[in-house]
Amino acid sequence: MKLEYPSPEFDETIAAVCHGEADEARMRALNHLLRSNADARDEYLIRIELHSRLASEPDLFSEGADVSLEPLAAVSRAVPPAPWRLTEMDHRQSNPNHGSSERATRAMDRTWILALAACFILLAGIFSLLWLKRSEPRNGTTSKAVAMLARTVDARWVKQPTPPRAGVALEPGWFHLEAGLAQIVFYSGARVVIEGPTDLQLISSSEAVCPTGRLLAEVPEPARGFRIKTGQLNVVDLGTAFGLETDHGQTEVDVFKGEVELSAKAAAVQALREGTAALVVGAGAAQFMAVRPDAFSNMLEFQQRSLAAEALRYDQWRLKSAQLNQDPFLVVHFDFEGLSPSDSSLKNAAEKTALVQDAAIVGCEPAQGRWREKPALEFQSVNDRVRLAVPGAFQSLTLSTWVCLKGLDRQFNSLVMSDGFDPGTIHWLIRNDGVLGLTVFGTGSAEYQILASPPVIGVDDLGTWLHLAVVLDGKANEAVQYLNGVPVSRRTLKIRPPFRLNSVELGNWNARRDPGSEPSLIRNLSGSMDDFEMFSRALSQAEIRDLYSSGKAEP
Amino acid sequence: MSKTRGLAEVIVKFHHMLPDFTPHSGASSASQQQFLSLFLRSEREIFRYVAALVPNLADAEDIVQQTALALWAKFNAYDPARPFTPWACRFALNKTRQWLERRQRWQALLEQGLAEELAQRREELQPQLEARLKHLESCLGALPVAQRSLVQGYYYERASIDALAGRFSRTEAATYKMLQRIRHDLRLCLEGHHQAEVV
Repeated sequence: MKLEYPSPEFDETIAAVCHGEADEARMRALNHLLRSNADARDEYLIRIELHSRLASEPDLFSEGADVSLEPLAAVSRAVPPAPWRLTEMDHRQSNPNHGSSERATRAMDRTWILALAACFILLAGIFSLLWLKRSEPRNGTTSKAVAMLARTVDARWVKQPTPPRAGVALEPGWFHLEAGLAQIVFYSGARVVIEGPTDLQLISSSEAVCPTGRLLAEVPEPARGFRIKTGQLNVVDLGTAFGLETDHGQTEVDVFKGEVELSAKAAAVQALREGTAALVVGAGAAQFMAVRPDAFSNMLEFQQRSLAAEALRYDQWRLKSAQLNQDPFLVVHFDFEGLSPSDSSLKNAAEKTALVQDAAIVGCEPAQGRWREKPALEFQSVNDRVRLAVPGAFQSLTLSTWVCLKGLDRQFNSLVMSDGFDPGTIHWLIRNDGVLGLTVFGTGSAEYQILASPPVIGVDDLGTWLHLAVVLDGKANEAVQYLNGVPVSRRTLKIRPPFRLNSVELGNWNARRDPGSEPSLIRNLSGSMDDFEMFSRALSQAEIRDLYSSGKAEP
Repeated sequence: MSKTRGLAEVIVKFHHMLPDFTPHSGASSASQQQFLSLFLRSEREIFRYVAALVPNLADAEDIVQQTALALWAKFNAYDPARPFTPWACRFALNKTRQWLERRQRWQALLEQGLAEELAQRREELQPQLEARLKHLESCLGALPVAQRSLVQGYYYERASIDALAGRFSRTEAATYKMLQRIRHDLRLCLEGHHQAEVV
């Protein structure tokens, strides 16, 4: 094989090299050409540089574009994307001639691996890459979702195989709303109401395309940089609220609050301030005028109604929560109310029992809970955990919590796990296949019972608030697990009471043995927790359903 | 919502996770932090240096990863008075050579001194590369939405080709081809901007 420069074969060979697909003959032919032709060599270097620059400069891509498009959602959308990602080496080292499918090898935050690498050489002396790699098992569950459909009014979708329902995660792609209103919450935090007929294409958690239709965007500070493209314009939001109306020939942008940046295809970037609107027809220059709130009144009203409905719902839950705190069987209640980033402890809100003191927060960050104003606690790194001590032995017990999962990154993702494997203690977790798992330990060292639900948590459940509960009933010898108020597993208990929690962690697990010995011992949760209760009795199905219905985000 | 975690915080947290481990090498956490901060600053440049030799991204990343470990192991030999990146790139070249030993295909590409020649010529070309690549962002912005989204999927999200093929309803071969075409368009766009500046 012989290569010429310039030639289509030269171009193809470079592409094949970039993708790792070129065979030996091709590689050798390229070698000959590059050594004998200085122009070909320089052109090769420029093209490869373009390729490696694209791979190593995340800033080239829209700000905040979401890492959660891929399984490493765990790394969290709030953490800036890694400039490039280190891949799972153990997997590919055993396959030096890997093909394209292995290109999909899962990835992780590079900072982490470097910290891990450095720490391990530092701390352990012996260092095994293999261990490192396996210590971060990523499963194959993927979510490409970039937004969520929050609510709709009389929405009629067209060209949609299955019309999206409120609460579902939305992946990049086209949405055609023929009539009605729909609110889409992007994972960047931007909230967009669209009014039919509107065509909207979701690109990433911070970008959408709207060739035709009407929308109202509300963009909080963290989502600054959110952008919408129309036929005429790029609209970049600088933390604000704006309305947009576009048809194939023209685009109008009305800024109700804050400021946006407009850029037409040929023209320079223009700032558009609060109270002003711009109309761009065809390729012409923008005409400026005062905003026309009446043109967006339906959507403004919808936005306001949804805000008011949210606040009302939150208030109702608070009332319910205050009543719950008076329950004499409520041992622990973390409501995460008033949580701030500097907090290192969680107050137990249960008022009638004094069994459990406050809990310690290790790592973690406050996050948005079920309602905009409601704090929750976000677990994301392998260290994040809430530790507490629950003394006592219980004939029966009930655990209940709200979680919003980012991913099921570990084989076992901890909800509530007692330290180690002590008699009578429990491990409550979500497996990476979506199974809710409960392990109850008996008195003998090999005596335990694993109670597993069918796989009930799917990719579509990621990013939405789920209510989970487990009831251990020592009298009826029964363990029941619930998802969103509905029993998903009911099993006879073989382990006899009393049950204990002892030293226990939420969102993580303390194995209490050599942490380097077994990679699967990392069991941290990736997601947020909002509300956690432990009762010293078995709640009935009706009571669990009530916890769910009074706590869910929308009535 | 959570904030960016600083490197120091990551390290502190990691220490916390392993309370039973005590350092028994001489390295201090200060030198560890110094290393990480130097490495993270140079990491992209090291990656591109390696990619000039082994352009396949996943392979280049593996090599950089091994380079990082070698650098840390030899960090006590680093003279802080000298620039870090060139020092690191020497390790990267060595690691690339080691990596090649087991890969005949890639040896065929880089044999008879081409690896060294490419590394050297790339350094000489730096100003010309920069003059063109500074337009990359605007060239990317000028791509049609679907193409931009494919580039983003491949280079930024690092989605697999088969996932991207699914997302864009194409075959894998067509997806590769489309990426090739997009790079070609970007290359023309860079050159166009550059020529416009020169003239």
